[in-house]
Amino acid sequence: MSFSEQIVPSSMSTEQLPLWKQEGAEPFLRIENVTKNFGDFKAVDNISLDIYKKELFCLLGGSGSGKSTLLRMLAGFETPTSGRILIDGVDMAGIQPWERPVNMMFQSYALFPHLSVADNVAFGLKREGVAKAEIKQRVEEMLGMVQLGHLGKRKPHQLSGGQRQRVALARALIKRPKLLLLDEPLGALDKKLREETQFELINIQEELGVTFVVVTHDQEEAMTLATRIGVMNQGIIVQTDEPHDVYEYPNSKFVADFIGSVNMFEGKVIQDEPDSVQIDSKEAGTTLFVNHGISCAPDQIVNVAIRPEKIRITKKEPEKGVNCIQGIIEEIAYMGSLSVFRVRLASGKEVRVTQPNFTRSMGDRYTWNDAVFLHWDEDSSVVLTS
Amino acid sequence: MSMSLGSAVMDRMAAKLQKYNFVKKVNWGRAVVAGIPAFWLGLFFFVPFLVVFKISLTEAAIAIPPYSELLDWDLEEAYISIKINLGNYLFLFEDDFYLDAYLSSVKIAVLSTFFTLLVAFPIAYAIAKSDGSTRVLLLALVILPFWTSFLLRVYAWMEFLKKNGIVNEFLLTIGIIDEPLIMLQTDFAVYIGIVYTYLPFMVLPLYSALEKMDGTLLEAAQDLGSKPTQSFFLVTLPLAMPGVIAGCVLVFIPAVGEFVIPALLGGADTLMIGRVLWDEFFLNRDWPMASAVAIVMLVVLVLPIMLIRNSQGKGEAV
Amino acid sequence: MHHKKLGLAAALALTLAAPITLAEEAVVNIYNWSDYIDPAILEKFETQTGIKINYDVYDSNEVLEAKLMSGSTGYDVVMPTGSFLERQALAGVYAEIDRSQLQNIGNLDAEMASKVALHDAGNKHNVPYTWGTIGLGYNVDMVKARLGDMPVNSWDLVFDPAIAAKLSDCGVSVLDSPAEVMSVALNYLGLDPNSEKKSDLKKATKLISASRESFTKFSSSQYISDLANGELCVSMGYNGDVLQSQSRAIEAGQGINISYIIPKEGSLVWFDLMAIPADAPHKEAAHKFIDFILQPENAAGVSNYAFYAVPNNKVEPYLLEEVKNDPSIYPTDDIKEKLFTQKAHSVKFDRLLTRAWTNIKTARQ
Repeated sequence: MSFSEQIVPSSMSTEQLPLWKQEGAEPFLRIENVTKNFGDFKAVDNISLDIYKKELFCLLGGSGSGKSTLLRMLAGFETPTSGRILIDGVDMAGIQPWERPVNMMFQSYALFPHLSVADNVAFGLKREGVAKAEIKQRVEEMLGMVQLGHLGKRKPHQLSGGQRQRVALARALIKRPKLLLLDEPLGALDKKLREETQFELINIQEELGVTFVVVTHDQEEAMTLATRIGVMNQGIIVQTDEPHDVYEYPNSKFVADFIGSVNMFEGKVIQDEPDSVQIDSKEAGTTLFVNHGISCAPDQIVNVAIRPEKIRITKKEPEKGVNCIQGIIEEIAYMGSLSVFRVRLASGKEVRVTQPNFTRSMGDRYTWNDAVFLHWDEDSSVVLTS
Repeated sequence: MSMSLGSAVMDRMAAKLQKYNFVKKVNWGRAVVAGIPAFWLGLFFFVPFLVVFKISLTEAAIAIPPYSELLDWDLEEAYISIKINLGNYLFLFEDDFYLDAYLSSVKIAVLSTFFTLLVAFPIAYAIAKSDGSTRVLLLALVILPFWTSFLLRVYAWMEFLKKNGIVNEFLLTIGIIDEPLIMLQTDFAVYIGIVYTYLPFMVLPLYSALEKMDGTLLEAAQDLGSKPTQSFFLVTLPLAMPGVIAGCVLVFIPAVGEFVIPALLGGADTLMIGRVLWDEFFLNRDWPMASAVAIVMLVVLVLPIMLIRNSQGKGEAV
Repeated sequence: MHHKKLGLAAALALTLAAPITLAEEAVVNIYNWSDYIDPAILEKFETQTGIKINYDVYDSNEVLEAKLMSGSTGYDVVMPTGSFLERQALAGVYAEIDRSQLQNIGNLDAEMASKVALHDAGNKHNVPYTWGTIGLGYNVDMVKARLGDMPVNSWDLVFDPAIAAKLSDCGVSVLDSPAEVMSVALNYLGLDPNSEKKSDLKKATKLISASRESFTKFSSSQYISDLANGELCVSMGYNGDVLQSQSRAIEAGQGINISYIIPKEGSLVWFDLMAIPADAPHKEAAHKFIDFILQPENAAGVSNYAFYAVPNNKVEPYLLEEVKNDPSIYPTDDIKEKLFTQKAHSVKFDRLLTRAWTNIKTARQ
């Protein structure tokens, strides 16, 4: 049972729902119990995943999580040890990379250094035997779309990193693939360029209606780009959800920790109602209230996760005493748009709190060793059983 | 006013001077670095070249050394005379024998360079694709033959190729042939000898070009719809081109002037410029003519190749 | 003061002018053909005279000549072939032999010495070392299988295209030595073997070209092993080399039977000569070495070892029986009469000859 289902207003009609929320919708890409072993090492461990038409699906994970292996199996560079991959209903077993309706944008871009930009982009069409005039026209169009119309004659080494990235994208898109695979598409760009390019990528994807599968280790990138995110760890997909849900309703300590920063309080369930739980946490030094139900055994040890920005910090004790803990400020970091506090609780636990700087003098209100109250709403935290 | 103007000029001059000194300092370092190889090249290539060129302008004579003096002087009479003989060069162009010999050498060198490339490419490719320790081992194996004498290795080939040699014995034993094949003293043996001898000179530059190649380029080519053979011709080969050219030059130049291999493995009818040179020098005792043959070979065959290569190298650097 | 200075200058001048009476270093540098002397002879020389021998070898006259013509070789005794010495002496390569230093010069075979004098007038620059002939080495059984009972005693084996063609399948080799082969061919045609006439050269070229197809090889040393292991059935060659091949064949025990003949039409006699380069650093020691070789027991050490004849009157008692009685080493008098020497050619003729030779070899017209 996914948390996301709970937050979808019941009034929304089926037609407006994205495909992955529609009962019985046909997936465009179906990954069925796929496993890939390299010797004794299980790079991908029995993954099943459905991706729908026009999705921009992000596989998010650290290095060695198996995300790149999964992507390479989609492209046909690796063969699954077991399991099936179906693209548009066709089983890809035995279909060579050059026969698949799939194109890939490589992390290193893999532009052919001996060919001009235009020839790089035209490469795929030439292999298909498209007429020369058509190739020329389509290359021009594609270069125009990625705003490189004027650079067709340059060689890759004469381009900037951002330009190369766009050539790689144009080259991968020109064959109008049904499925585009992108391996860390923005990884080699600097931060500012990355932000601009993210939106460009989304625009192009929407314009062409191609299904994208993006591999990335960068959670911000995944958050911005994706329709859905599959978080991978040690060869399995830990959670598949829309970006918002992955952030707000992580299903495990791993996801909560991997995406954004989080404070976790260990505790024992002392009261378990269908729509709320109470957890006695020694670390927090109080009983924590969460207003959603969980399925767990009585007295189970769980973690209550609360994002730093959802905690309010005050000097005065708040009136409503729920989820309120006391501590001493150990460190304050002024970050411009917000301030980050590190607060030490009586239990010795450190809590991270961020507060937007509503006013200019915000930062002056608190100083080191101030005794403060931290508190949050009952619906701001999540209980993690795994 | 004038004071400040003066000091401004002084400042600018000082700045200029400083800049000048700085530049000069850098140039000194560079001059030394560039100068050492230039000096060696001059000493071991250009000076011998000049000596040979000088001899080519003299006439054969019964003397020690066996050619006429280019310069003649008499200090008391205060005269210096230079006697230049262009006859050797004229003779080279008059007699189509030399042209035949050059052409035949070029033909043998071109073909054997091509065969060397065919044999070397898979070897270099396999080495470039192999991992760590295997690669070191394979590279060592490529270079290993250099530790034994070149002549010994050519003689070993004679043992392989001769009428009752190892290859014929083997083929007769397994019944592929009924009569021994004549391989030694044929052009076939010359090609084998050249390919074998110069193989490392082709493998090493090819290896270094292929080793630099990013493997994902081949995946990209496949991804864009080209089969492995197409990928080879569209991506691997063009990217290995600097290595191909370097290897071909390294094989072609010595192969053109090759003497020992055709002399030992080739037939009497293998006409090569190296043999002609030997005959001019040892049989005709005509050092000037032999020098002219060598100079023309250098100018006609080797210099254009070096120039092409040089211009290509510059293209790469951009 | 002034005088003193003068005196010093005079003393200096005297010192410089004084003849250098330093004794020659007890060393002799010898540059000889490979396998051309019994090493025991060299040791004997060293113990007898106390002169140390530095021994170095070459395998072609051309290599020796190239060194000598460049000058300053540092060698004291070299062994060029007659026609080579002839030309080299003209260029001033050699010192004159001081016969007063050679006590054993009387042992020299006068008849042979007079033939050598055709190369070197008065034998001023040489003392003959060995002599030999060019002839045919052949594999007795292979030739018999192809020619039947036809006597093997003529250059026809290589110069008659019909006969050569019959032998081609078992391998026919000709010396890769234009001047020698050409003079043998001229002699075979009944022409002057030393002719420099263009028309004669043409005739000889035509003769050799006619059989060219049947020649499987042009070789000046490779034929030694090829004959021995059955890769050739007929080879033009030097007598000593063919005999070396014969003994190798016997050693191998494969039943290959090699023989040597001097064809009835006559053949070339050649001489390898001892000579002293003009710039030899140890001339005295060089003379001692030459004189040593002139002693009959030492001359025999050359002949018994290399299977070549030595022109020494007193050598006979010291020769091995099989050497002494082998007509391919010491030919009978009637054959000796038909032997001719090949003189050095002019530079111009050498060029024509080399070209003709290359054309023959490459079958180029």
